[in-house]
Amino acid sequence: MSVNNGTDRPMEDVTEGGQHAEPSRRSVLHGAAGLAGAGLAATVMAGTLAAPASASAAPRTHPGRAARVPHSDEPVIVHVRDVRSGEMDVFAGESQVSLRDPGLAARLTQAVR
Amino acid sequence: MSSHREAPEISRDPVADSTDLYAFVSPDQPDTVTLIANYIPLQEPAGGPNFYAFGDDDEVRYDIHVDNDGDGQPDVTYRFRFHSQLLDPETFLYNTGPITALDSPNWNNRQFYSVWKIVDQGPGKLLGSNLPCPPCNIGPLSTPHYASLADMAVHSLDGGIKVFAGQRAEGFYVDLGAIFDLGDLRPFENLHAQYGMHVFTKPAPGVNATNRLNVHSIAIQVPITDLVQPGASGESDPKSVIGVWTTASRQAASVLEANGNTVTSGPWRQVSRLGNPLINEVIIALGDKDRWNHLEPVGDKQFAHYYAHPELAALLPALYPGVFPNLEALVKSGKTRADLEAILLTGIPSGLIPGFQNNTGSVLSDMLRLNTAIPPSSSPNILGLLGGDLAGFPNGRRVFDDIVTVELRAVAGVTYALVDPSFKPDAAAGEVTDGLTPSSVKAPFLTSFPYLGVPYSGFYNPS
Repeated sequence: MSVNNGTDRPMEDVTEGGQHAEPSRRSVLHGAAGLAGAGLAATVMAGTLAAPASASAAPRTHPGRAARVPHSDEPVIVHVRDVRSGEMDVFAGESQVSLRDPGLAARLTQAVR
Repeated sequence: MSSHREAPEISRDPVADSTDLYAFVSPDQPDTVTLIANYIPLQEPAGGPNFYAFGDDDEVRYDIHVDNDGDGQPDVTYRFRFHSQLLDPETFLYNTGPITALDSPNWNNRQFYSVWKIVDQGPGKLLGSNLPCPPCNIGPLSTPHYASLADMAVHSLDGGIKVFAGQRAEGFYVDLGAIFDLGDLRPFENLHAQYGMHVFTKPAPGVNATNRLNVHSIAIQVPITDLVQPGASGESDPKSVIGVWTTASRQAASVLEANGNTVTSGPWRQVSRLGNPLINEVIIALGDKDRWNHLEPVGDKQFAHYYAHPELAALLPALYPGVFPNLEALVKSGKTRADLEAILLTGIPSGLIPGFQNNTGSVLSDMLRLNTAIPPSSSPNILGLLGGDLAGFPNGRRVFDDIVTVELRAVAGVTYALVDPSFKPDAAAGEVTDGLTPSSVKAPFLTSFPYLGVPYSGFYNPS
């Protein structure tokens, strides 16, 4: 599995936004929240990538707001950009990591079928 | 509008939509600069039951950036993050009685914020936390004595800094309805080609489309020395010049859960940007507006052609036949509008306007440039530099500056003579306007921080 650190910056950093190659917000949201094209998105708990989050394991959230929970319980959002090649982005906290893992992509795809 | 709903994506995201940006040497505190970034456009004052609020800290991050070395990248950033507090989820009411203080138990749905200062993109320094916003202006029963209530939300922080974040009266005046009806300017509409329809037979006064509407303002007043490079001295010193812009960002990934909760995660992505007024509104073309909002000023060279050959400059002679012959010839010549590039992308260098410069060097970047060494004017002219007032737009921007008229006239050619003395602007170029003035804003501007007027109440507006 090859791992590429994305634009992981602490909250105090300032310039993570806006370079030419950045996807538009709409495409990010659509890609992450839906199952557009070949993409696959999953919200899972850290360390439990193989299964969809159960109700009891779901991150604590408030109505209309994102979860604000301790790091170990932080929600992880996976956006599989290409199931065949296994290219995916993993979002957690204020970080993003890009992975290429065809096996994991296949297992995630299987989990939602 | 200056930047209200100016691009397709952000028009669907009001809490992250920057509408106006102001930067000026504070007239009542001339050793400070006031920076104001407005968000959430076109608020009808009667906004209940869910009155307007900033995006919370898990939704939107608001920044005001200052570049003090001309590279189009932030050297100083003030970051604002908000959080809401619902005292009683069992009622549908925003308030359960009159709100007479910021800690009133009658105020059910309130908002607080923290502000950081970030220097050279390093670790942030927390300047203040849990600072209360004022409520929205509801009416005489819910928010009696609103002006004094809002005054309580002006917070003094260490280091001679003041902050305010909350609802204000919209101070930007523009005849939106006419301008976006195929470039009609009511004071000259009898001269409009009208596509042969003969709708207008005589001039008409302008109509302020933003009248009696509110916005949400993020305002900070800081010592000039906090913003400029050390050793800045005098009007001619490049170190005295800063470039300012505001951005709003959201996290990259978002999932809407079945129960209506939203989970967000990942790095912050810029979704809104505003430096000079009206740029993404009428200079940048539709196909590039969203991308422009996602980028930093340092990358603006790719958009320079829009400034060099603005579509509006070609439209004016076409829409008003025979009124702008010299502008028409200039457009047809294909010459680059070096005047607009200087004003908007690099700042005006020394030598063009006696006693003035706000140049930041060669990096093309859309920033609101302010020469902080130029003192506030004792008799301001709303046309700023065009009116001989060196303390006004495009040297920064004050709340009352008539930036619509200034930019209309600049695009129409009045500033081109600065770079080509042989060019004679059309007589109409010095007269063109949408016909509005600060008197078109019914809520008076304030003479002290935060300078924008008391917001209109829902009870009285509309009336």
